Amino acid sequence: MSDESMNSKLVNKAADDELDLRILRALETAPNVEIPADFAARVANRLPVRRRPVSLTATHYGRNAVFLGMILSLVVLIALSLSSGRHATFGLAESLLLTQFIVLTVWLSVRRFSV
Amino acid sequence: MDIDLTFEQLVRDHQAMVFRTLLRMTGSREHVDDLAQDVFLRLYRALPSFRGEALITTYLYRIAVNVAQDEWKRRRRDERSHVSLSDETSAWEERLAHPDRNAEQQLEEREFQQTVEEQLQILSQIERTILILYHQEERSYEQISYALGMPIGTVRTHLHRGRKKLREAIQQRQTKERRTECQTNR
Repeated sequence: MSDESMNSKLVNKAADDELDLRILRALETAPNVEIPADFAARVANRLPVRRRPVSLTATHYGRNAVFLGMILSLVVLIALSLSSGRHATFGLAESLLLTQFIVLTVWLSVRRFSV
Repeated sequence: MDIDLTFEQLVRDHQAMVFRTLLRMTGSREHVDDLAQDVFLRLYRALPSFRGEALITTYLYRIAVNVAQDEWKRRRRDERSHVSLSDETSAWEERLAHPDRNAEQQLEEREFQQTVEEQLQILSQIERTILILYHQEERSYEQISYALGMPIGTVRTHLHRGRKKLREAIQQRQTKERRTECQTNR
C-alpha cells in the first residue's frame, strides 16, 4: 500500500471519528425546555378522585416471600439431614428441598428489582 | 400525607425529564405541555397496578413513549406538517453558547445540532426513541428494554442501526452542502 493511500485512509478515519464525536455530543445535548411554573399544580388539579390512597413506594411482597421460602427450606433441610437416618423417603424429601432451595437462590440472583 | 400533594411533588421532580423527552421524540414544541399532562395523568391512573417491578422513572419513560406514539399516530391521521424545532426561537440554542468558543464555532455547532435534530426526525420512531433514551436520558439497555417492552438484543440492534443511519444521513447532507458550495464558488 502506498504512503499516499495510507495517509488518505488515516485522514478519513480521523474525520469519521470527529463526526462520530460531534453526533454523540449533539445527541447528548438535551433540549432546554420551558416548563410553566404552575404545571405540577395544574396536573394535580386535574387528577380524578380516588377512593383509596395508593402507595408510591414498591412493596416487594414477592421477594420477601422468596426469602422466607429459602429460609424455611434451609431449616427443614438441616432438620432432615440431622434426623433422617438412611431412609429413602427422607432422602427423596431432602433432594426435593435442595432443588427448591437452589432454584430460589438462582431466581433471586438473576432477578433485578430496580430497572 | 395527602396523595395529591405527594403526586404534585412527583410531577415536579420528573417534569423536566418528561418535557425534554417528549420534545425530542415528537420534534415539536407544539402540544408538549398537553402531552406531558397526559403522561402524568396516565401515570396517576396506572398507579394502583404499579407493583414496583421497576423504578417510577422507568415506568414514566414507558408512558412517555406510549404518549409520543399516540401523538405520531394522531399527526399521521391529521397529515399535518409538524413545526420544526428550528422554527422557534429557543433557549436551546442559547444553551450551546460557551464562553471559550468564538462566534463562528458556536454558529457552526448550532447548525450541526440543528442538522442532527432534523435527521433524527427522519429515523424510524423506534430508532429515534432508543437514541434519545440512551444518549440524552442516559438510560441503560435494561431500562430501555423495559420502557419499550422489547428484548435487550433488539434495543442494541436498533441503537446501532439508528446511529449508523443518522451518521450516513448527516454525511450525505454535508457532502451535498459542500457540492452546492463548490458550484456557487465557481
